[in-house]
Amino acid sequence: MFLSLAAIVAAFILLKHSDKPQIKKLANTLFLCGEAYLLFHVLHLIISIIQYGVSDFSVLLTVGETYVLVQSFAEYTKRSRLRRKLIIAHAVVIIGSIAFLFPLVWMVSTALKLPGQAMSYPPKLIEFPMRFENFKTCLNYQGFQFNLYARNTLYLCILSVLGTILSSSLVAYGFSRIKWRGRDFCFYLTLATMMIPFPVYMIPLFRLFRLYNWVGTFKPLWIPAFFSSAFHVFLMRQFFMNIPHDLSEAAFMDGAGDFRIYWSVILPLAKPVLLVVGLFQFLNTWNDFLGPLIYLSDQKRYTLSLGLQFFQSQHGGTDWNLLMAASTLVIIPIVILFLCTQKTFLRGMTMSGLRGG
Amino acid sequence: MPQLKRKLNNPFIYFSAIVLAGIAALVVLTAVILPCLAFDLFPSYFRSDIHEGRIKIEYWEKWTGFEGEAMQKVIDKFNQSQSRIWVEKRPISRIEQRFLVSVAGKNPPDLAGLQAFMIPNFAEKGALKSLDELASEFNIKKEDYLSVFWDMGVYQNKLYALPTTPATLALHYNKRLFREAGLDPDKPPQTLDELDSMAEKLTRYNNKGKIKTIGFTPSYPGWWLWAWGFWFGGRLTDEKGRITMDDAGNVKSLVWVQNYARKYGLVRLQEFEGGFGRLLFASPQNPFLTEQVAMELQGVWMFNFIDKYNPKLEWGVAPFPAVEGLENVTLADCDDLVIPTDAPHPREAFEFISFVQQQENMELLCMEQRKFSPLKKVSEDFWIKHPHPYIKLFYELAESPNAKTQPMIPMFQQMREEMNSAFSEVWLLKKTPEQALERVQNRIHRAWESQKRVEEAKSKSQNSRLGKK
Amino acid sequence: MIFKISHAEFCNIKKGLLFISPWIIGMALFVGYPIVASIYYSFTDFSVLLPPVGIGFQNYSDLLKDDLFWKSLNNTLLYAAISLPLGLGLSLFLALFLNQPIKFRDGFRAVYFLPSLVPLIPLAILWQWIFNSRFGILNGILNPLLQPLQASAPNWLEDPMWTKPALVLTRLWGVGASMIIFLAALQEVPKELYESAEIDGVTHWRKFFNITLPLISPAIYFNLIVGIIASLQFFAVPFVMLGRGPADSSYFFTMYIYDAAFKYLRMGYASAMAWLMFILTLILTILASRVSSRFVHYETDNL
Repeated sequence: MFLSLAAIVAAFILLKHSDKPQIKKLANTLFLCGEAYLLFHVLHLIISIIQYGVSDFSVLLTVGETYVLVQSFAEYTKRSRLRRKLIIAHAVVIIGSIAFLFPLVWMVSTALKLPGQAMSYPPKLIEFPMRFENFKTCLNYQGFQFNLYARNTLYLCILSVLGTILSSSLVAYGFSRIKWRGRDFCFYLTLATMMIPFPVYMIPLFRLFRLYNWVGTFKPLWIPAFFSSAFHVFLMRQFFMNIPHDLSEAAFMDGAGDFRIYWSVILPLAKPVLLVVGLFQFLNTWNDFLGPLIYLSDQKRYTLSLGLQFFQSQHGGTDWNLLMAASTLVIIPIVILFLCTQKTFLRGMTMSGLRGG
Repeated sequence: MPQLKRKLNNPFIYFSAIVLAGIAALVVLTAVILPCLAFDLFPSYFRSDIHEGRIKIEYWEKWTGFEGEAMQKVIDKFNQSQSRIWVEKRPISRIEQRFLVSVAGKNPPDLAGLQAFMIPNFAEKGALKSLDELASEFNIKKEDYLSVFWDMGVYQNKLYALPTTPATLALHYNKRLFREAGLDPDKPPQTLDELDSMAEKLTRYNNKGKIKTIGFTPSYPGWWLWAWGFWFGGRLTDEKGRITMDDAGNVKSLVWVQNYARKYGLVRLQEFEGGFGRLLFASPQNPFLTEQVAMELQGVWMFNFIDKYNPKLEWGVAPFPAVEGLENVTLADCDDLVIPTDAPHPREAFEFISFVQQQENMELLCMEQRKFSPLKKVSEDFWIKHPHPYIKLFYELAESPNAKTQPMIPMFQQMREEMNSAFSEVWLLKKTPEQALERVQNRIHRAWESQKRVEEAKSKSQNSRLGKK
Repeated sequence: MIFKISHAEFCNIKKGLLFISPWIIGMALFVGYPIVASIYYSFTDFSVLLPPVGIGFQNYSDLLKDDLFWKSLNNTLLYAAISLPLGLGLSLFLALFLNQPIKFRDGFRAVYFLPSLVPLIPLAILWQWIFNSRFGILNGILNPLLQPLQASAPNWLEDPMWTKPALVLTRLWGVGASMIIFLAALQEVPKELYESAEIDGVTHWRKFFNITLPLISPAIYFNLIVGIIASLQFFAVPFVMLGRGPADSSYFFTMYIYDAAFKYLRMGYASAMAWLMFILTLILTILASRVSSRFVHYETDNL
């Protein structure tokens, strides 16, 4: 604790006595570290007061430290408002991300435990030794075959992403770049179809697929993607509506038909939103559980999210650690995908006409 | 990104990037897309009813783990014993929904393992093939079985299902806790009053007044909340098929339940019970195994979990006590095999069913699942070799005339949900037993009546069609 | 005279329909028949396994007398009323902070978006654990904090009062998607506006209300509509985590539809419920659109 106080005081002194940027940086770092440590100490004191009761010394210390904390923070950041805002922003974001990451951390921590340790009381974050072999065991557990199911899932994802991008962009073009009577009415109709709850058209849809003889194959899971989906059309339409008209008009002047304009002018410009739609569709298909549940009957054709059911058992008990290990493996590919495409993903969402004017 | 573009301007790197991309695409194409696409375009080539020249029977079963392996042993034995039929078991989760969808889509399996309560609903809606003829052909008779299990496969006097593994419920109690409380560990409660008073003696509190160990609570394990009426002489339907959810016995049972909530304090019970859900059941933290619950109503399978997670536990079993005049009351349940209508090979499927029904195979299956056999004839070896120390008690309970089952009516699912809801309201002290039961009685009765109206409409239209003919 | 379509207009209509033909064909092949069929079923008693029997409006009249229907509707509306504003508020709040030049901003963005990537079954089980009042980590943290106040952490999944808050918390955990949308909109707000406002000496709050909010109003509208639809159709998480819940407190509308269709084999009844829900969603969406048309400012439409 005294160390942190010393650091803060040193920071102040340094700041006063020099204007060199490196010294300033050093002062900032010292200050931040000191403040952070002081903050933790105050929190710790508060918790122990709550747990063990009040004692004069602890109350005094807490009040004193809080005062120092707040005053020094105010003094130091008086120089520039920007810094204060930034620090608060950092704090909020860090605390928030701890809360958001926590269930996932818990998932991975369970994946590294033994079956009996999964539900111990009090709950422990890490049990040593960490059982990394769980990841290997869960690959081929009681009917769950990771490689096979990953292949099936990948197949479905690739085909449905392809289908969605092609068809939704076509349809969105028709709803945005061509002026025709009844256009907006039809568009709101497509939006309305998003509002119908699934259990209700599930059975007629199943019978339809049975009629086409598609049940038991992958077809019901990717062919409908080639006929566009309301949500993706909505997104793309917003984007297309914000592409300036001069571009398509220029192409029109050069004698290009609508399809040419669509293919050579609009699509290349729309790469960001195409990526967004593709990513959303990939995510949906990767995690889709209900569709494969109904339409796939052959165990060899299961997808990953459907295959996770093999880890659950009614009276025989579930191997939680293996279930969590398998779930982690199932998430990793899409996490990587998202991390890699983050920047373009955001760009695609920005130009989707979501800003006002 | 701009750096990448600059690099790509170099023709060599550009070329090799294209080659790499091409190779990657080729790999993806052959490894991922082509095999699955082939399956999609030519499904009939892959699907077959034939396995090495034998007729393939597809058997959907909800069991996984050791229960699934038990059935697999019987299947292997069957497959080896003859060369015309091959049975392939497929583990299916949410079997009720999948079965419904597949039958509705006229794409059913050959054989399915359902739970007894699912049968009336499916049978009434014509989803199951009646097995009377095949049963008589294969010489399978009602007299070979404990009546309660045979009856569970019968709906409106037709046989639709044959049992695989049976179960009954009994009082499980902790002998060590009995001793500590000054009770005789070999004298479990014989009446409900004894149960209540013993429960009081067994309940322990910690120094903050919270419950540390509970003698007994009707809310745990919470799997048969709808059935407490049976131990009080109540029933959910009468002989004429009328709904009697609010009959005197059911009311008495809920009064008993509410007394527990009042006696031990709702908040304290909630704090104590919080977290004893299904998640914990199959784990070392099962409250019966950690000796936090001294007595509970549980089924014949409980031994498996005691054996796996706390074999040192000192425990005993006794019939769960009932009101005066009722002895050896239990709730019986069963897993059954059914053949759906439109199944492609019903006869071959039934051959397998009859194989399972043979005494030695049934005993193999039930022994592996640590349950008893539904057949009347049981070999001495079965009792001797059986690992469950109290298996005979469960069997005797099944033989008792007071072995109850769920009402074998199509509306049972709805009734059960509503009874659970009534229990919850009574337990949470939100309603009196009479109020809660009256509400669910009205609701189910209304649903029952609207069903009858539909039946009338159906038969009217059928008659008019016949009349036209 | 009814329709006088000029040749040019007719050409345009042809072109438009051609482009949206995938959607039209898709509707005809996959959506049209099921929707029409389900409307038809709502006037029948249909057990899925047997042919439907027409019973007129009986399903609808039974529904209105069914107190379980009202209870589930109540639950759903209550849940929507709580989670919608909280969700919007939280995602906007986080987006505002993530818009600042923070170190490792991309990493943090990914962290907040990550929860929406988790498949549903492990997610629901994970939450069941976390909310477990005895062994769960949430109460593991809350209990020591509340002890001296003579209080104890709630029984999230057993107490009828706390099941909905628990579900709202799981929903809040997944705000990553709507947060990203707000982030994108925030990035489009030109910085010059803020700078000129600062020169004029405008306070923080007024900057927020008079510059930020109007400029991101389309994003708010989008998230609102999507949020209404999603919260009214809330199904998977409570289905796996709780079932009906203590005193039916977590019985949501779509769950009742599912039970009626697949457990009680009353598909006609379920279809009637679904169409009532559709009408409700439509009304709410139209209401929301009317209200927000006053507040939402789009970039001027060119078409």
